[in-house]
Amino acid sequence: MAGKHLSRWTLVWFGSAMAMLLAGCALGLLGAADPQGWSQGSNLAVVHLFVLGWLCQVMLGALIQFVPVLAARPLAFPGLALPALVATSTGTLALALGFLALDGHQALQPLFLLAPVLIGLGFALVAVMVTATLWHRDSLHLAEVRMVLLALAALVGLWLSGGRMVLALAGLGPAPDLSAMLPLHLLLGIAGWLGLAACGVTYKLFAMFLLAPEQGGRLRGAIFWTAAGLVALLLAALLWLLAGGSAGRATALALALLPLLALLALLYLTEIAQLWKARRRPALEPNMLWSRAALAFLALAAALAIPGWLWGGTWAETAVFVALVGWLSTLTLAQLLKIVGFLTWIQVFAPRIGHQPVPMVQKLGSTRAASACLALWCAGTLAGALSLLGASPAGYRLAMALLSLGALGVGRELIAVRQLAHLPPAERPGQLPHLMLPLLHPRPRAETRS
Amino acid sequence: MTQPAPLELDVRPIIRDGEDPFGAIMAAVDVLSPGQALHLLAPFRPAPLFTVMASRGFGSQDRQRDDGTWEVLFTPAPAPGPDAEMTPGSADDAGLWPDAVHELDLTGLTPPEPMVRILEAVTGLAPGEVLFALLDREPMFLFPELAQRGHEWAGNFARSGQAYRLLVRAGARDD
Repeated sequence: MAGKHLSRWTLVWFGSAMAMLLAGCALGLLGAADPQGWSQGSNLAVVHLFVLGWLCQVMLGALIQFVPVLAARPLAFPGLALPALVATSTGTLALALGFLALDGHQALQPLFLLAPVLIGLGFALVAVMVTATLWHRDSLHLAEVRMVLLALAALVGLWLSGGRMVLALAGLGPAPDLSAMLPLHLLLGIAGWLGLAACGVTYKLFAMFLLAPEQGGRLRGAIFWTAAGLVALLLAALLWLLAGGSAGRATALALALLPLLALLALLYLTEIAQLWKARRRPALEPNMLWSRAALAFLALAAALAIPGWLWGGTWAETAVFVALVGWLSTLTLAQLLKIVGFLTWIQVFAPRIGHQPVPMVQKLGSTRAASACLALWCAGTLAGALSLLGASPAGYRLAMALLSLGALGVGRELIAVRQLAHLPPAERPGQLPHLMLPLLHPRPRAETRS
Repeated sequence: MTQPAPLELDVRPIIRDGEDPFGAIMAAVDVLSPGQALHLLAPFRPAPLFTVMASRGFGSQDRQRDDGTWEVLFTPAPAPGPDAEMTPGSADDAGLWPDAVHELDLTGLTPPEPMVRILEAVTGLAPGEVLFALLDREPMFLFPELAQRGHEWAGNFARSGQAYRLLVRAGARDD
């Protein structure tokens, strides 16, 4: 018998990630993500709540739910999902609090040192589940599957570089050149881990929601091999640096890869455009309409990477901001609304099919609410990017407000979807699913044939 | 892969006792492992059985021994080749299932519509009846629901990779 419908803890992963997103936005609104002082502990805390707590956690949870679909086989070691979630969420909180030690709160230093251990444990557990599910000859010939595995390789590099920087900031061990480590950390995290995982997953997800043919042709193969070369070079540069190699060379290599990265984004966008043209579904739902905005932000981030490469400074900061907030977050928020609706529908209504009428899955969500909050989020991203380039603190504060409103709106809509609030009362079952926790009791009709 | 040795069933004692051997033969077919043949010994040529076994995916070879006993070897149709890899969780004996009584073309439908159509159709089947569906992709959320309801399924991609073929055999009525 194949696995269960839902990985039991998927919604708790999403809930934990949403909580971190809202916390990050709220702190940003309160001025704790000041572009003038990225090296302050409090700023680093907020940045990591956002990137690690929100983006990484939502991606890990999505992979656990999604790799069985990607590989058409049940999830391996499903029991590791909860320990992994506990490790990454507590690790993220420990890291965020630990960064405050840099601002003089020395009592938090032990948390700072504990954080990489917890985060590493969480990453490792998810990597085991994902790799064991995908590593099969039927799956490995798919470029999108290999892309997700490549993302996990980059995740190892992300953790290594992050852990090494924590040790250096805590004053332990020989201090590597942090200005050389940081570009590698950023590139491995954004392009390597989050970016490649997002690309791998979207190939399948977009084909599904657009009703487009799923054949990855030569272009997808070329994208994979380019990405593989990129990740290999980044990891080599990191190991070189960790082994005491020259910081200048490692930085030069990382920066030299930026144009290649922009090319990679262009190739990916070209393939997605082809997929879009080949779609058989004319009317699209908000998740796909707003994914277009996310893809536009990817193009913008790739374009900004070139001046970022040439001049650094605010250009590079803006490129990073647009990639994280514009591309990856918009994409995730848009798809999250759809995926949570779909999973809720499966959980509540799949057992009823054939016995009583079931509502259409689209009726669980509100197109208007979804579009309104995603529009706020995108407006916030644009305002943020412009204020970073124009060095405008007021504009930046406005951006934080828009992003907070957008995130709150998505959170509210996700709760409404879980509570089936958009369905007419007559179509709502007597017992609502729990907001996040899995069904802990068996279904009444659970007879199975041996 | 080596084939398991044929299962031998001698129905002569049953017939001698004046009983109908059909139940015993079907029971033997049900316990065959994948790829295993059935070697039947009977006092006469069991012609009606050839059709029954053919519908369950068996070819047959028969000969009369010198002592008058008929020997029939029912051999299962070859398993699908490596390019027709079955989705993990597929029933092993789908090659032996009867012909589908329902055929559904569900290509071009967005998830979860194919799942709704299949479950609605399966609910109307009598136990043991089979449904065939053609889909754009493997319905990963349908499989656990079918298993939960006591239905069996087997599916794989067509050679082109552009369509997914699914057989569902209804279990006990799930209403």
